Amino acid sequence: MSVPDYMQCAEDHQTVLVVVQPVGIVPEDQFFRIYKRIASVAQVSIRDSQRNLYIRYRHHYLPENNDWGDFQTHRKVVGLICVTTCGSGKEWPQTSERFHGQKEVFGATLYDSRLLVFGLQGEIAEQQRTDVAFYPSYDDCPDVEKKVEDFVESIFIVLESKRLDRATDKSGDKIPLLCVPFEKKDFVGLDTDSRHYKKRCQGRMRKHVGDLCLQAGMLQDALVHYHMAVELLRSVNDFLWLGAALEGLCSASVIFHYPGGTAGKAAGRNPSAAQGQAADAGKRHRPGAQEVLIDPGALTTNGISADTSSEIGRAKNCLSPEDIIEKYKEAISYYGKYKNAGVIELEACVKAVRVLAIQKRAMEASEFLQNAVYINLGQLSEEEKIQRYSILSELYYLIGFHRKSAFFKRVAAMQCVAPTIPEPGWRACYKLLLETLPGYSLSLDPKDFSKGAHRGWAAVQMRLLHELVYASRRMGNPGLSVRHLSFLLQTMLDFLSDQEKKEVTQSLENYTSKCPGGMEVITLPDGLRLHPVPFTKLPIVRSVKLLDLPVSLRPHKQKGLMENSMSTKSPFIYSPIIMHNRGEERNKKIDFQWVQGDVCEVQLMVYNPMPFELRVENMGLLTSGVEFESLPAALSLPAESGLYPVTLVGVPRTAGNITVNGYHTSVFGVTSDCLLDSLTSVRTSGCLVEVIPSLPRLQLSTSLPRSAHPLQPSKEELSSSVSVQLFNGETQQLTITLENIGSEDLETLEITSKISNTKERLFGEFLSWRPGGGCLTPASEARPVWSPSLSTSSQTGLLWRREPAPGPDDDGISVTGLPISSPLRQVLKPRAETRPPGSESSKTDYNHVKMLEAVMTFKYSGGAGKVEGYYRDLTLGLHVDVEPSVFFTRVSTLPATSTRQCHLLLDVFNSTEHELTVSAQNNQDLVLHASECQRMAIQVDKFDFDTLPQPDQETVRYTSLKLLEEERLHAQASMINSTLGITWDIPSVRRKGEASVEGVLNQLVLDHLQLAPLQWDVMVNGKPCDCDIIADCKVGDAVPLEVKLTNRSKNTVGPFALTVVPFQDYQNGVQNYDLQDAVTFIGSNTFYIDTVNPSEESLCLGALLFLYSGDFYLNIKFQDDSVGKEPGAGQGKELPLSWFGLPSIHIRAQEAPMEAGA
Amino acid sequence: MAVCIAVIAKENYPLYIRSVPTQNELKFHYTVHTSLDVVEEKISAVGKAMADQRELYLGLLYPTEDYKVYGYVTNSKVKFVIVVDSSNTSLRDNEIRSMFRKLHNSFTDVMCNPFYNPGDTIQSKAFDGMVSAMMVQAS
Repeated sequence: MSVPDYMQCAEDHQTVLVVVQPVGIVPEDQFFRIYKRIASVAQVSIRDSQRNLYIRYRHHYLPENNDWGDFQTHRKVVGLICVTTCGSGKEWPQTSERFHGQKEVFGATLYDSRLLVFGLQGEIAEQQRTDVAFYPSYDDCPDVEKKVEDFVESIFIVLESKRLDRATDKSGDKIPLLCVPFEKKDFVGLDTDSRHYKKRCQGRMRKHVGDLCLQAGMLQDALVHYHMAVELLRSVNDFLWLGAALEGLCSASVIFHYPGGTAGKAAGRNPSAAQGQAADAGKRHRPGAQEVLIDPGALTTNGISADTSSEIGRAKNCLSPEDIIEKYKEAISYYGKYKNAGVIELEACVKAVRVLAIQKRAMEASEFLQNAVYINLGQLSEEEKIQRYSILSELYYLIGFHRKSAFFKRVAAMQCVAPTIPEPGWRACYKLLLETLPGYSLSLDPKDFSKGAHRGWAAVQMRLLHELVYASRRMGNPGLSVRHLSFLLQTMLDFLSDQEKKEVTQSLENYTSKCPGGMEVITLPDGLRLHPVPFTKLPIVRSVKLLDLPVSLRPHKQKGLMENSMSTKSPFIYSPIIMHNRGEERNKKIDFQWVQGDVCEVQLMVYNPMPFELRVENMGLLTSGVEFESLPAALSLPAESGLYPVTLVGVPRTAGNITVNGYHTSVFGVTSDCLLDSLTSVRTSGCLVEVIPSLPRLQLSTSLPRSAHPLQPSKEELSSSVSVQLFNGETQQLTITLENIGSEDLETLEITSKISNTKERLFGEFLSWRPGGGCLTPASEARPVWSPSLSTSSQTGLLWRREPAPGPDDDGISVTGLPISSPLRQVLKPRAETRPPGSESSKTDYNHVKMLEAVMTFKYSGGAGKVEGYYRDLTLGLHVDVEPSVFFTRVSTLPATSTRQCHLLLDVFNSTEHELTVSAQNNQDLVLHASECQRMAIQVDKFDFDTLPQPDQETVRYTSLKLLEEERLHAQASMINSTLGITWDIPSVRRKGEASVEGVLNQLVLDHLQLAPLQWDVMVNGKPCDCDIIADCKVGDAVPLEVKLTNRSKNTVGPFALTVVPFQDYQNGVQNYDLQDAVTFIGSNTFYIDTVNPSEESLCLGALLFLYSGDFYLNIKFQDDSVGKEPGAGQGKELPLSWFGLPSIHIRAQEAPMEAGA
Repeated sequence: MAVCIAVIAKENYPLYIRSVPTQNELKFHYTVHTSLDVVEEKISAVGKAMADQRELYLGLLYPTEDYKVYGYVTNSKVKFVIVVDSSNTSLRDNEIRSMFRKLHNSFTDVMCNPFYNPGDTIQSKAFDGMVSAMMVQAS
């Protein structure tokens, strides 16, 4: 006996073995259908007695195992049922022959046999035979079960008779020696008459009778017989049979104690039978027990136990659960003495383990199993090995040793594909490996690994995964191996060495080249679902941040349409209690918007944990909420990279709320969808953002190069900025081109500008713009360009403020000014000293470069976004580095000959490094060398500042006095500037610009430059007369003199008295006022002017008579009569003298050509 | 003396495992892993009876052909497993016990380290050295 039946359990000892076999040609499926029906008759209650007979069916049984039938009767084939197909009567004899042949095989032990013939009809089928049943077809055999029951009953009768037969054998007759096959030769020539031999025969027979009793359902008798057999055999040291007797005792006790059976799930091999067993479990034991209780006499009538039943009570016969194990141990130790009884020993171990499993004594069970592992059954076939390991695994599982179970299952799996096997069973191997997973606490669902660090037997688990990968590959299912390999890589990454990482990824790439890995769930034929494995660690994502649109594309909500966004949930404005909830944070809406149709960005911080470069392909975003067109990116991360920013982009195609759920990647040919919800280590500041309807998109380009550095006060972000370097006073044209590159029509455009650094005073127009034409509502198709041009002129010219000159050092260049841009320096150098020009220190001061910045804002909107009330801002930063060009270091005025004019003296300093030409309006050019200072005189008409527009009352009220004053000064200065028109030109670099006097002007100069409010016009001979004009008149003629006063001040002036004093200038410093006889007045030489109301004129007339020819001057002297005379009309203060700048009149009196005769 | 020493966390994952013939480390992983079945069984069997004065030393877990596996459980359910060569018959139970005691003391030191997070794998050099000493003794 070499093949153990691992499915055996203790209660199999009470069954009778029936072999069901096909004879001739029987379709397999039909045979098994019939077999199943036969096997359903596993338990038969015998008529007329309350005993049950249990039947074990086998469709395959080795005859050599049958030889052990005497040793343990349940191993003996006592019944044979043959199933055959017989088409016609002709075949019948042959079939019958075969049936008999089959009977021969088990001939010695058979009690009875049956033949089930299918398909045969006719006369042969008509005949009544007890051992043959005819059925027309496999489908038409209603009474198979009945036939089998009859058959079982007939077996019972034989069994019962044998039992009785053997039991009564004790009557001193010669008892035959029962023996197992390998013993037979040992007993040849033994003294059969010895007492020892007889005892041995007796003991063995007792044991045999015990077996028969057990099979026949007489549990108590069996126990008694076993006890006696144990005693007898122990005395003769017949260990093998002693073991068998002990095992029989154990089996009987187990049957008594555990009527439910010990087979556990192993009975699943025969499902219908197991069901039957389970259903009958309750009454299975009871009939026997009842029998013992009710009918003790039945025992005695059986004759065998007249001597035993009286002395041994029921409880005593039956072993206690603890004893069962002891006896099993003993039995196994006896079996162990015989090498040939290995199978028996192994089976006994298995049976004992099953009992222990029921008793929940795992430790002892494991010892039995440990023993079973070492039982050597000689050369086992590979299949037997697999079977053995599987059963070990199953038994370990039964006793709760899941790890051990997994271990053996794995060994079995490996055995399936042992190199010695010609056709390795990879499929079986894979299946067995899958079954080991729970034992290694490995779940193939990656979700179970996402929580924290992996904790387990990584080395062992990794090995298992590798084996799974290999097995699935050899099975020819690359999809599976890709899935397992991805799982291995994802979950065991921390435990893989660098070398292993390389190997795993390489093989993964090999596999995916044949079968790309995806995200679908793989369902195995046996129902196991393999969840997709997203590579969340390749690369590892640390944070996900949704990015706002670039500044120029950021949408803004119109103020008026702003709905109450302060939707505070809490009544408190501020609360220190902030709900720090990750999940909530993730769903938090971010307070910026994305725009439909515009490219939106999400920034991921990723890093590559691999020791080699990681190529991630097709990385994109997974979103929900709106239609989103993800634009996948491919990236290549260097080995063991640090955090590495990756920007994923996409275009929302509809408006609404969009949620970024995760990202998808393709690494090593495996695509994975990584959801953020399952990634706890990812930091994110919210994934929900609103997408607003589309807006037009303007692109701005300028004629100037873009500036690299941002503007200094980077309070606001700028979409673009330009920088330019200009000399002070230079004007630069800047053309801005706006292009609508979006898909929506531009409907509104608004332009504003702002000068950003207002700390310093700025003179002159810094930024002025005028649209260069073009329509404001460009059609989107044409994408027209609208380009206004800007002119930037920098006028920081007034870095130097004139200080009151301490002395008349007109010729020297007095650097008396200080840079106002640095007040600190003013403190350090409180007093400006006269420096020689060109000195190093002063030069550096002049070369102070200033920066000017301004921001232009283009606010535009259109399309669907405009309807929703959104607009966009495009900002252009202007950065101007202003280099000094020319300075006016000093300004002073000199009165000109005419009262309406004066001379403006400007000390011009060239602070550039180039030769420079300064020119003013109607003035000749002045050439200045580098760092040269020269005086320049310009004759200017005096200015009438009153014509400047007055600020209206509204602004006056709300602006401070100082501001108003500044405003006024500025207006005046610009007026002066425009009149002067001072320009400079650097021919060497072809740059030119303006120079402004604003800022150097002080009140004194301004007063001088201002036209007096009282305007005096003197007419001689009806011709206006001013300083330089020489009025001609004739001697002897009366020269009419007219003095006109125009009051342009705001107050009434006068009355005044004017006295005209004539004098002659000899041009040598002598003035002769004594001209009474040369000039005479016709009338008074004093004019009286009455009160003149504002903007009125007053005219006084007089006449002069020159008596001699010559050059005469008229000095009109002024007397203010208003003071004190008319306090009501006067202002109570003297009018400034400068208001009375009457021109001195030069009259040339000539002899009349025709001399009047005296 | 010992060929393999393992420390296993309460949740039955290894905190530390080291074996002498490094070329066949996986075998010891399997051995220790399967021995946990026995450890668990022993704990559950004994634990009910006398939870307080439970003997920490579990004794021989199971013998294999080449090795003997001994177990020890701390009160916090951290398991120590020592695998010794079967051929080494000179080793007495008492010596095994003292090895476990040493191991336990050293493990306690590891746990006392404020920078050690319970549940992390043990990387202490002192512990490693002590384990090495126990292994070296054999050869």
